[in-house]
Amino acid sequence: MQPAAVDLPDSPDDTLAEALVDLVLRGMWHGRPESEHRPLVDAGLAMVKGPMALPTERAKAAASRILRISPGSAQEAQITAAYEAFLPLNRKIREVCTAWQCRPDGTANDHSDSVYDAGVRESLEDVHEAIQPVLRRLERVLEGSGRYLTALEEALDRFDDGAVQWLASPLCDSYHTMWMRLHQELLLVLGISRAEDEAREEELVTRSRG
Amino acid sequence: MSVTDRETGPLTPSEVPGRILVPYGQGRIRGLDADELGAHGTAMDRLVALGLPVVPGLTVPASASASLCEPGTAEAAVDLIEQLSGRRIGDAGRPLLLRLSASAPTEIAGLPPDLACLGITSAGADSLCAVIGREDALYEVWATTVRMIAEYALDVPGAVLDDALLDTPEPRARVDALLSLVARHGSRPFPDDPAQQLALAARALLVRWDSPRARRSRKAQRLPADLGIALHVQALRIGPADHSGYGTAVSRHPETGRLSPQGSFFRGVRRSAPPPHTSEPLDRLAGGTALLEHSLLTLERHLHAPVSVDFEVRDGEISLLAAAAQQRPPLRASVCLAADLARDGALGLDEAVLRISPAQVQELLHPQLRLTGGEELLVKGLPASPGAATGVIVLSSERALELGADGTQVVLAAHETSPADVPGMLASAAVLTGTGGIASHAAVVARGAGKPAVCGAEGLRVDRAAGTVRIGNRVLREGDPVSMDGRTGAVYAGTLSVSVAGPPPELSTLLEWADGMRRLGVRANADSAAEVSTAVALGAEGVGLCRTEHQFLGERLPLIRRVILAADPAARDEALSALEHAQHQDFRALLAAVGNRPVTVRLLDAPLHEFLPGPGQAENAGEEQRAAALREANPMLGLRGVRLALLHERLYPAQAEALFAAWADVAATGVRPELEVMIPLVSVPEELAAAAAYVRGAAEAVAARTGVQVPYRFGTMIETPRAALLAGELADHAEFFSFGTNDLTQLTYGFSRDDVERQVLANYQERGLLTASPFARLDPHGVGALVALAAERARSVRPGIKLGVCGEHGGDPESIAFCDGLGLDYVSCSAHRVPVARMAAAHSALRERRDEIGSAR
Repeated sequence: MQPAAVDLPDSPDDTLAEALVDLVLRGMWHGRPESEHRPLVDAGLAMVKGPMALPTERAKAAASRILRISPGSAQEAQITAAYEAFLPLNRKIREVCTAWQCRPDGTANDHSDSVYDAGVRESLEDVHEAIQPVLRRLERVLEGSGRYLTALEEALDRFDDGAVQWLASPLCDSYHTMWMRLHQELLLVLGISRAEDEAREEELVTRSRG
Repeated sequence: MSVTDRETGPLTPSEVPGRILVPYGQGRIRGLDADELGAHGTAMDRLVALGLPVVPGLTVPASASASLCEPGTAEAAVDLIEQLSGRRIGDAGRPLLLRLSASAPTEIAGLPPDLACLGITSAGADSLCAVIGREDALYEVWATTVRMIAEYALDVPGAVLDDALLDTPEPRARVDALLSLVARHGSRPFPDDPAQQLALAARALLVRWDSPRARRSRKAQRLPADLGIALHVQALRIGPADHSGYGTAVSRHPETGRLSPQGSFFRGVRRSAPPPHTSEPLDRLAGGTALLEHSLLTLERHLHAPVSVDFEVRDGEISLLAAAAQQRPPLRASVCLAADLARDGALGLDEAVLRISPAQVQELLHPQLRLTGGEELLVKGLPASPGAATGVIVLSSERALELGADGTQVVLAAHETSPADVPGMLASAAVLTGTGGIASHAAVVARGAGKPAVCGAEGLRVDRAAGTVRIGNRVLREGDPVSMDGRTGAVYAGTLSVSVAGPPPELSTLLEWADGMRRLGVRANADSAAEVSTAVALGAEGVGLCRTEHQFLGERLPLIRRVILAADPAARDEALSALEHAQHQDFRALLAAVGNRPVTVRLLDAPLHEFLPGPGQAENAGEEQRAAALREANPMLGLRGVRLALLHERLYPAQAEALFAAWADVAATGVRPELEVMIPLVSVPEELAAAAAYVRGAAEAVAARTGVQVPYRFGTMIETPRAALLAGELADHAEFFSFGTNDLTQLTYGFSRDDVERQVLANYQERGLLTASPFARLDPHGVGALVALAAERARSVRPGIKLGVCGEHGGDPESIAFCDGLGLDYVSCSAHRVPVARMAAAHSALRERRDEIGSAR
């Protein structure tokens, strides 16, 4: 996270900025104590719906400003290189999650076929092997991004211990959840829109598969 | 040429070279089985035996696979492939490369990837590219091959290789970069000699097979840690990309299941996964698909399964690279194949029926939107997560959470999805996105949460500020209802009903065969004419349970309330005759839909409290007082069923008269339903005798009024343990029994279903106290024993007594087999389970027959 100058109207302290960025990257906080989201709510950066706190549009805009690194910088070029290596894998991890959830014919995977599941696990290993050098490079140029590799490994460990929701469930910090968060951070850091992101991913995937 | 001439290496004289290098097709002749040949070697043997064209290749059996790492064996293998293919490595005109792969005795995951490009040198690459006519693919495959060999056979650190690949995206430069890394960090330089390359490749595959990741994969599949793999060397005959390449095909169309080769092919050099994006449809194959079709058909007839093949096209000619029965073929393909094989006489009808399980029948009858043709299709997106749903459109997570909290079904529409949309998706009944495919984050999340989803709906434009979403030419507002099918990708305007799909034609065929094999009848529980029509269309032989409770609810509730709370007999009779008229209409429609089939009509069974006004809601003080006096502590065990009829003596006669009069009306049109009148919640034989008298009186009254003697059978539900124990006495009065296994289960266990399902059952199942919910699977030891005992006692009094089951168990395959074993006459289940029950009853009969044959032997 970049401790850049933030134009937050109320109390632009680091703790608040950090909490704000965390909330936006996660998309929600679930079941956290009121004391944690109260400052954000008071600053108009979060809204509470039942057990959940959600970021407001203003929060999303503020997080983009906080995270965005200076355009045209050398750092931006280095992160862009990592991002471009990330994109084809971003396609692949979604395919792996899809294969875990659905058989090729579109029916739900009931996990009764250990050979099929082990095949999916192999593809996951391919992705995991391939993302590691990318994240190691990213860590050198984007402060704090090392936590993603730790979290991905943690999710993978739990998955291998038999808690299979740690691959693709949206209800925990699963491999896919953490991956999505990393993706979101890269987009905000580089100021890339989702539409641009999709187009670039498509281009890179097509190129890499000739 | 003799292979042995060249074998100068480390082979000991006792090793027979023919057992080390086994050309495709010669494994069995040499006495080798799948343990030695691997699944691939066995499959290639089979293809050769069936006379199908195969790519030249050989197998190094599992017990000798390490010997391919020896230069001598590798050299002999190269010679043999050259001989088999009639080409030579390094020949610029008709070039040849080698492909090395591995296989285990069965199809497993976690095998090392194929090394697809052996025998190439930096000096010779250009002439190969000249023959192919393009270069990228070759360099890409080559780079992958070098990467594997470098890490696993030449000890170049993986991280060094990863960095090189990240820095060098272009394939040709990658090969150079990798080769120079090998020169710098490797235990030896990358050789040019094809046999040396092959030996290193073999080492790489075996080391990879021994790596921690491969071991973990074997463990996950419960395979032996020391499982051996066979190695296979295939000829890779290089030809011009215009008429050479490779492809994959399956024998059947995944949607329709019909025999029709489906697949794609790729020009140029064959790669490992993932498949490139340059696939072309099979009909673009230079030499046509006739040989491919012949191969698929031959294999299907041989393997009795839908099959898949990998094939090579060289100068327009097809030869097979691999073939196997599809591991998990699409369900419709399996069903179609079973029907096809049986029609051709390749399979007995009973074998065909046994191939499709009742659960698979259920899977084919998935819920879908009921379409009548008048729907407005808004858009067709990608089917991203199966299931059908309806709900009102919301455009943000916060709105989804707000409405979802009220219990409103919502569909979250988003142009694109980010983590901020996840809470909204979790609160929605379904998800619709404008971009992204079936592997988008949104689709992964939707499936993870079990929500239907349609993704990539083109032309979807969300305007959150205006609260609108444009879909094609339509503009919908937040709150407008939509319906969507995550299996087809279709999104419709408005709220459509969700119902079960009818069976596809080939399943209907199998179900008809199944009908001819089963003994147990299958009826449906149906309360209205519409439900009867659905049930009959799904193959129900009749109605096993028509509940009449709904005839008293809705707008008729005030009438029945007046009957129960009437201050005087005149008011009661007036309300009763209004009820009788309404029921008459209902019964006439129902009986007309039933046609000449049997129909069991159960007289009123609702617990009293369903008819009483809530406290303070009665029309006057007198009613309020009477209602208060009638309220019960435990209505399900109170004044309900036959008990209510005995206290309100005009109830059953009025119902029965309405029913018989309706039968007379319908009979006048030439339709004669086989009427069965059933009394609920009996536990005292005298209750049944009294109810029988009411019904008899009603028949006489209708006969006197209309001149029609209505034929009917009289019977009882068996749903209390006492009724089961007194089955003999009850059979004096009853011509049929229907076991109400839901209530019988509740009363036998002393379980209140609503309560235990929430609190007890899951816990009991987790702790192993119960293996299944007794409400889903008939408990054979307790409840089932009561059913068995009642059947026996009833038959001793009335040998031909008709016995059926009308609980939810009537749709559960195991419970159906149990009922079949007791020799009951029929099961009755909800309409959408009827095809499942038909299949389950046939399987039960066939298994029994097989057991008999087995024990007779």
